[in-house]
Amino acid sequence: MMKFKLLLWQCIRSREVWLSLVLIALLGIIGILIGSKHLSKQQAAIAEVKQYQEQHFDRQVSLHNEDLGLLLYYAKFAYIKNLDPLAGLSIGQTDVNPTVKRITIKTFEAQKFDTDLVNPMNLLSGNLDLSFVIIYLLPLLVIVLTFNVISEETETGTWQLVAIQAKSKVRFVISKLLIRFFLLLIVLIFLFTVAKIVLGIPLNINFVFLFSLSILYALFWFTLSFFVIVFKRSSGFNALSLLSIWLGLIILLPAGINAFIASKYPVPEALSTAIAQRDGYHTKWDTDKLATIQKFYDHYPQFEKYGYPTDGFNWLWYYAMQQMGDDDSKKQQAALSEKITLREKTSEGIASILPNMHMQLAFNRLAGTSMSQHMNYLDATDTFHEDLRLFFYPKIFEEKYADTINWDQFPPAYYEIQTNKGSLKILIPLFIASLVMIFMAIPMARRL
Amino acid sequence: MKWANVRLFALNFWHNAKKPKAFYLLYLIFILLTAYAAVSGIQNHVVQNDIREEHQDMARQSWVNNPDKHPHRMAHFGTFAFRKSPPLGIFDFGLESFTGNTVFLEAHRQNSVNFSEATFSTGTLRFGELSLALLLQLVLPLILFFIGFSSIAGDKQNGTLKILLSQGANWKEILFGRTLGLFAISLLFLIPIFLIVLIAMLFLNSEIGHDFYWVRLLTIVLGYSLFLFVVSGITVAVSASSNSPKNALLRLLGIWLLLVVLLPKTAQAMGSYWHPTPTKLAFQSGIEKEVIEYGDSHNPDDPHYNKLRDSVLAVHNVKEVTDLPFNYSGFVMREGEKITSKLYRKHNEDLIATYEKQNDITRFSSYLNPFTAIKQLSMSMAGTDFRSYIDFQNQADDYRYELAQTMNELQMEYISPKKKSGSEGKIHVVGHEHWKEFPDFNHQPTPFIQTMKEALPALIAMLLWLLITVEILLFTSKRARAI
Repeated sequence: MMKFKLLLWQCIRSREVWLSLVLIALLGIIGILIGSKHLSKQQAAIAEVKQYQEQHFDRQVSLHNEDLGLLLYYAKFAYIKNLDPLAGLSIGQTDVNPTVKRITIKTFEAQKFDTDLVNPMNLLSGNLDLSFVIIYLLPLLVIVLTFNVISEETETGTWQLVAIQAKSKVRFVISKLLIRFFLLLIVLIFLFTVAKIVLGIPLNINFVFLFSLSILYALFWFTLSFFVIVFKRSSGFNALSLLSIWLGLIILLPAGINAFIASKYPVPEALSTAIAQRDGYHTKWDTDKLATIQKFYDHYPQFEKYGYPTDGFNWLWYYAMQQMGDDDSKKQQAALSEKITLREKTSEGIASILPNMHMQLAFNRLAGTSMSQHMNYLDATDTFHEDLRLFFYPKIFEEKYADTINWDQFPPAYYEIQTNKGSLKILIPLFIASLVMIFMAIPMARRL
Repeated sequence: MKWANVRLFALNFWHNAKKPKAFYLLYLIFILLTAYAAVSGIQNHVVQNDIREEHQDMARQSWVNNPDKHPHRMAHFGTFAFRKSPPLGIFDFGLESFTGNTVFLEAHRQNSVNFSEATFSTGTLRFGELSLALLLQLVLPLILFFIGFSSIAGDKQNGTLKILLSQGANWKEILFGRTLGLFAISLLFLIPIFLIVLIAMLFLNSEIGHDFYWVRLLTIVLGYSLFLFVVSGITVAVSASSNSPKNALLRLLGIWLLLVVLLPKTAQAMGSYWHPTPTKLAFQSGIEKEVIEYGDSHNPDDPHYNKLRDSVLAVHNVKEVTDLPFNYSGFVMREGEKITSKLYRKHNEDLIATYEKQNDITRFSSYLNPFTAIKQLSMSMAGTDFRSYIDFQNQADDYRYELAQTMNELQMEYISPKKKSGSEGKIHVVGHEHWKEFPDFNHQPTPFIQTMKEALPALIAMLLWLLITVEILLFTSKRARAI
């Protein structure tokens, strides 16, 4: 026990150590505040939509009571992806992808990928959230804490003393490292406690997983550092090597992989889908009405009872045309979602061997802010859209008055994020990476 | 300060830096990274632009192939604008991955620009993108720190510095000499990158003759040279004022982390904290409210349009709109488009102004941070900056407005005044030859003069940093001590 106390004392005596511990705690708190701001911004947007939607319907009903088809040309229904408080820890893709969508019952594909108002400069600079602090900066803290654990002893001449007195040199080094790991653990516990309180995160399994991931990630960097310092090179050499590894792992490799994915899997399908849905609907103005309506009834046989009105303009034909925007672009849509899945799969495959990329993706997935979860939300929006259609189509075709519909049944609807309940599987890549580092260090550690 | 001595120190540094084997390893890695960044950057540029051109043609074909129909149908048929990546986008991706590239242009509606690379990316895009510019802005400074951190602190530690000074060299000569030496080393890294860009531009693009692309490239080269001199100067100055090489290295790394990662991120975060972006709903309903106040062409009882109708009837001395010499519905839509576009533009300008305010913090931090200065300068000159994107949006919206109004005018001219409303059917139609007459959207690169205006603060900041660096070196030369 005494030994640990002394080692702890020796470690925290250094000004750099204190400075970097305080700095990371401070940045962590800033990150949490930025996350909290992100959450409250979304809450404000939701409140705004709630208030707006009611008066929006009132106005539409008063303007177009006798023309439900026209009313639904304008009426927009909100569908909201309510962010999990964990999204405050890892903002992920929720800054670029909208979380509040307002849609009409017209062609869905024409609205699916509409974006929010975003300043691209903000996206480029990225979010300084807690996940950034942990994934980017925590490794630097580990480096500062550990790079001279052995070399400071050799450089000040105390290594010989240690060599004579300690039972095991490896054990001495490991206990020095453990002390530092312990300090870092305190910082992590502090930050996660602050995050839990500030963001109002319930103590659920995903929160525990985020915390465990962070600890394992720190452990990985400790093992990596251990592997470098057991070579007993000078402090300067260790610092340089560790920083080069940091640069390679955190910046160059992910950046290179992104470049690879972007150029290997471009997404022309998105553009083709956009054109296909436009043509699918608009060309129907010139083609045979009967054929359009027939195609519509092929999709929805239950509506066939409304007949085949082909004289002049009518809403049945109009919404049948709108439907064709979606139906005629199915092939392109399928190709698009296949490409997106492919991109995600590739990204995840590579990430499983790169701890920091894995961290980023795992954090986003646990917090419900990943790309695939956004795609799920879009799919759910599609279902929501379909339900609206099925509800309103018969009413339009029967030429019901708008005030016969109870519009209060359409408050903004909410989407429940399927945050995959974390499973132990998510920890495995970090575990393996740490183990690999330890195994690689063993031969050198024996010769300490 | 004797020039001969400065040269001597510079040459001495140049030779010494290249002695260790590690230098060649570093150089090799850098060149490999350069090659990878160049290949993927060029490939991506070509593929993306091909995709966009191909789809621009597809959309155009679709437009031209329309049969005779009512012009208002064409106004809604609309078309697409695809944003083309500028030639120098191969060097600096800038905002390229974060800005949408497709916008649907139709009457009455200003649609969002969709399908940015970021929307289809997993979270890992935020680690950054490997572009040639990233290598110069982020990696090369680190390499220079690694090469130069012991340039003076090392001599201090092993005592050679004392000998040098006692033999008649002075501090200024040493500092400027070593800075120039380090700067010369940095050119070894810079030159291959620009050779690649130069060759790529010669081979890839037929259009680079226009719009001052060579001037842009030259400005970029100049900007990076200044930047690398500044980095070299800072490295040497920090090395001179540190008592050991290890301390010098730690300080330099602290500076790098602060200037490359922390400051830029915080600056942008502060900008959006102080000037929050409105929600899309607030933005749209703001326009909607004003449109209703001003006159809603879709409301049959709207007072503005009733007054307009009465005055038009009075001028032409007729009782019914069907007696007018032109199609009144087309006239109303022309008026409506005018009003809504004007209001949209007003609100959109406010929105852009908010964005600009958010970005201003970053822009002004150029004066505090040479890394931001070069980033801004490089992006603007490459044409992948914020202004260029807004310029695309404006071009697309101008085209959209032209399209809608041309169709409205065709309707006024060719559709019978008797056809009061509606655009369905094959009777009241306009010949399809008119569709071809309306030219396709053609995204023009941002004019050089506008780029220059945008880049000027960053350019001034860069020049200012040159002076500051010289000043720092002079200051250090007075205060520096040999032990």
